[in-house]
Amino acid sequence: MHVLTGSYALDALDAQERAEFERHLQHCPSCQAEVRGLRETAARLAIARAAQPPAQLEQRVLAATYRTRQLPPLPADRLRRDLGQTRLARLARLFAGRPAADQPDSSHGHRSDRRSDRRSDRRSDRRAARRSDRGRGSGWSNNWLRSPRLVGAVAAASVAAAVGLGITQVSTQHQLDSAQATSAAIAKVLDAPDARIEATSATAGGAVTVVVSALQREAVVTTRGMPSLSSSRVYQVWVMSSSGARSVGLLSSTAHIGELLASGVQSGDQIGITVEPSGGSSRPTITPVATVPVTA
Amino acid sequence: MHDMSRPEIRAARPDPGPAEGEAQDLAFLLAQVARGDHQAFEAVYGQLAGPVYGVVRQVLRDPAQSEEVAQEVLLEVWRSASRFDPARGSGVAWVLTMAHRRAVDRVRSENAGSRREQKVASETVTEYDDVADIVETSLEGQRARRCLDSLTDLQGESIKLAYYGGYSYPEVAQLLGVALGTVKTRIRDGLIRMRDCMGVMA
Repeated sequence: MHVLTGSYALDALDAQERAEFERHLQHCPSCQAEVRGLRETAARLAIARAAQPPAQLEQRVLAATYRTRQLPPLPADRLRRDLGQTRLARLARLFAGRPAADQPDSSHGHRSDRRSDRRSDRRSDRRAARRSDRGRGSGWSNNWLRSPRLVGAVAAASVAAAVGLGITQVSTQHQLDSAQATSAAIAKVLDAPDARIEATSATAGGAVTVVVSALQREAVVTTRGMPSLSSSRVYQVWVMSSSGARSVGLLSSTAHIGELLASGVQSGDQIGITVEPSGGSSRPTITPVATVPVTA
Repeated sequence: MHDMSRPEIRAARPDPGPAEGEAQDLAFLLAQVARGDHQAFEAVYGQLAGPVYGVVRQVLRDPAQSEEVAQEVLLEVWRSASRFDPARGSGVAWVLTMAHRRAVDRVRSENAGSRREQKVASETVTEYDDVADIVETSLEGQRARRCLDSLTDLQGESIKLAYYGGYSYPEVAQLLGVALGTVKTRIRDGLIRMRDCMGVMA
């Protein structure tokens, strides 16, 4: 992995490898330092190719600055920046009903959508536009617009999740690192053009939300307000398909918010949550307290 | 009159040393830009429009498209100046990283749909020296070229194809007919050598 610092600094990795490397970078301070130096070096390669821009460019750019609102500064707290802000922005885009808001003939483009539009960059706007095209075909916008209450609850859960993650700052560096790595992977799912959302409440209380990207075959499972369990029990998350159940991971029995990334998910699977002995089980031993169907 | 006003300006903003002056100045200017200072932005434009446009056109080749992307990047500097963190690198690197990545992303997103118009097979490394109106005045740019020339052929070609050509390292490997691992290593070794040659501070 370390040898990729050079290719990364030159943008010579494809999107997937770039994301993987960025995940690696989070745990690798020596890579970070090297990347920084190689980036400075790459910038000198650009300077070596400086060229006279077309005369009209300056006027156009300067004029555009008068029409363009600037981004507010981020909180100084780097963790919150990495985990919270980007994630919240993505969630906001996902939950703000962009597909509908992006359609010119739509009546759903209320003000909060427009605000998030302005904040997002041009690229994500283009992506959103593409997503909108797809959304129109697949009807997922309708699907989720049908349940505004649900969306509110999910957004609240997500905000709480981001805040909750912010608090992990006081825990160990290791936890922090893995949280950041997972966060990058989760952000990718939330940002997927085909991301769609399913939610349900658990039988014993609490809410479960699943954001699925069929393209990436990944799902982000978020729980909120699940009842605390005794110390000998944990919540375990499963991908359940016709061929059986596969463990995704364990959720803390006491945390108010839980979040896990499930890979290799496909349409027709179900995400299930069971209560298991601490340490987890190799297969679900009881009836799930919640199941969420995966549809694409 | 003009002379009288000068010392005041000096007092308000002491002139940094000539060597680091530009870099410090840019960080200072970007902080001003973040507060909505259009004049500071003009100064940033003056410093960086050449390298931004140059590197974007190096990758994209098409002048109209390059202008469009350069405009996007420069406007993005205005928009997100508050996100620039001097602790994480220089302002030059911040802006030019953004410029290069946008150009490369543009190439790749177009390639995803249809093949790049350029014939990959006939692309040669020497082409990258052909761009006519490269601004020759920057000492730093000249030093970068000298350092680039000091690399081994394979290091230099790998870096030029990756950075100036906008190719991914697997594409570079294919173009040069060498193994993937070799290209990865050559790119890294070459860049480290350049970094040391240029005395870049990490």
